[in-house]
Amino acid sequence: MKIKAYHLVILLVSVILGVMAAMQFKSSSEIIDANIERTEKMAEKVEAKKKEIEELKIKVDEMNLQLQEAAESPEMYALNQQLITYGILAGTVEVKGPGVKVLLSDSEEPLKPGQDPSFYVLHDVDILKVLNELKAAGAEAIAINDERVIATTDIRCGGPVIIVNKNKRLAAPFVIKAIGHPDTLYNSLMMKGGVVEQLKFWNIRVSVQKADEVIIPSYPRSIKLEARLGGSISG
Amino acid sequence: MAKPSAVSFVVSFVIVGMMLGLLLGLHDKNDEFLENKDVPGRPHALAAELAQLETDYQNLLAEAQDLEKKLEQIEKGKWKAYEALQDELEKVKFAAGLMPVSGKGVEVIMQNMPEGELDDHLGFDSSLFSIKYEDILKVVNELYAAGAVAISINDQRLIVTSEIRNAGRFIIVNSRRITPPYVIKAVGDPERLESGLKIKGGLVEALREWGIEIIVEPKEEVIVPAYDGGIEIRYAKPVKKEGDA
Repeated sequence: MKIKAYHLVILLVSVILGVMAAMQFKSSSEIIDANIERTEKMAEKVEAKKKEIEELKIKVDEMNLQLQEAAESPEMYALNQQLITYGILAGTVEVKGPGVKVLLSDSEEPLKPGQDPSFYVLHDVDILKVLNELKAAGAEAIAINDERVIATTDIRCGGPVIIVNKNKRLAAPFVIKAIGHPDTLYNSLMMKGGVVEQLKFWNIRVSVQKADEVIIPSYPRSIKLEARLGGSISG
Repeated sequence: MAKPSAVSFVVSFVIVGMMLGLLLGLHDKNDEFLENKDVPGRPHALAAELAQLETDYQNLLAEAQDLEKKLEQIEKGKWKAYEALQDELEKVKFAAGLMPVSGKGVEVIMQNMPEGELDDHLGFDSSLFSIKYEDILKVVNELYAAGAVAISINDQRLIVTSEIRNAGRFIIVNSRRITPPYVIKAVGDPERLESGLKIKGGLVEALREWGIEIIVEPKEEVIVPAYDGGIEIRYAKPVKKEGDA
């Protein structure tokens, strides 16, 4: 058989295509490798930092307790009580007490055609309203998935998660714990036309339980310094 | 014999072509994989998280050093101890919102549109479009998200227990009735606070659509007063690690 010119052309084109394909395949798998490696390195550093912060926070909590104990002598009673009360408000003190647990999760009802799915998932405003209602009912300390709520706490939707306290990502289901008078907290949430009824309208799953004791951890970062960064004491 | 071999020759080209096609197909799959997993974006997000954690760590470290110093001071006799505890109390009071704060920030003024104007504007009953507690709740949340360290509404300082709610036709903050115009003062970075509210598709835009007048003004100095309501902690008790009294 004679090899004709067009055979050579086809062969050449095939080889070039083959080489190109191989190169591209190789380079894209290199990108994946490089990224995975970088991601892993970064994730390791992030985890290490988180651990460092946790350990330091334990030390800070211990020192805070020592300071409280130092103020336990009778002549400093008033000072000690103030330190505890204001510390609870600021969120620097881990607390326990009676209250409620609120469990929130997205609707599980299948959507009917034409229904907008975004109506049936939890929004930041829903959680804001639950917190607001608990505060109005006299809650003394609140946490969402064990992240302490403080005066400057913000809540934002970030796709399937919510972001609390600027950068703490929390995933559903959300458990809101609050310390206060259990009946008052419960009734204000369950009130006719209240926040639970509104959420149930959108098929969002809400349950509220009274509890003899809930534990609410302290704010895991430094509030005393954060609060100072943006302003100064006036007057 | 020439004919069949020419055919198999062409067939082998076709097979090579198909294999190449497969390879290219595989390559496309890979691209998709990259997009789906968002792999290139992850190191970036993690770097931002790491930077934030570093700041958190430094702040916490400074707090730890401050506490260490105070504990040392406590060893040095009653007077020094009292001083150290007094200083600690000031810090906690400040963080709790029991002291006035001043600094750069923004002033947000919210007002219902005058009734006649609103009716013309939307052709609806104006009461539907008056400011609701939720609107204020959202503005406050947005300001905190943009880094506000202290906020007041009509001079009611918001602390951790502050509620914003309807009671009849009024809005209540810290159990006190407030009336429009609602003046929200926030201490923080004026640029961030302003852009957080005014971002395209953001809150200011949405509220204006509902006929609410809202003005956001950056300020060289805003003064946010201290919380002056009652404080009573009846149910929450501090958790003590060892022993647990």
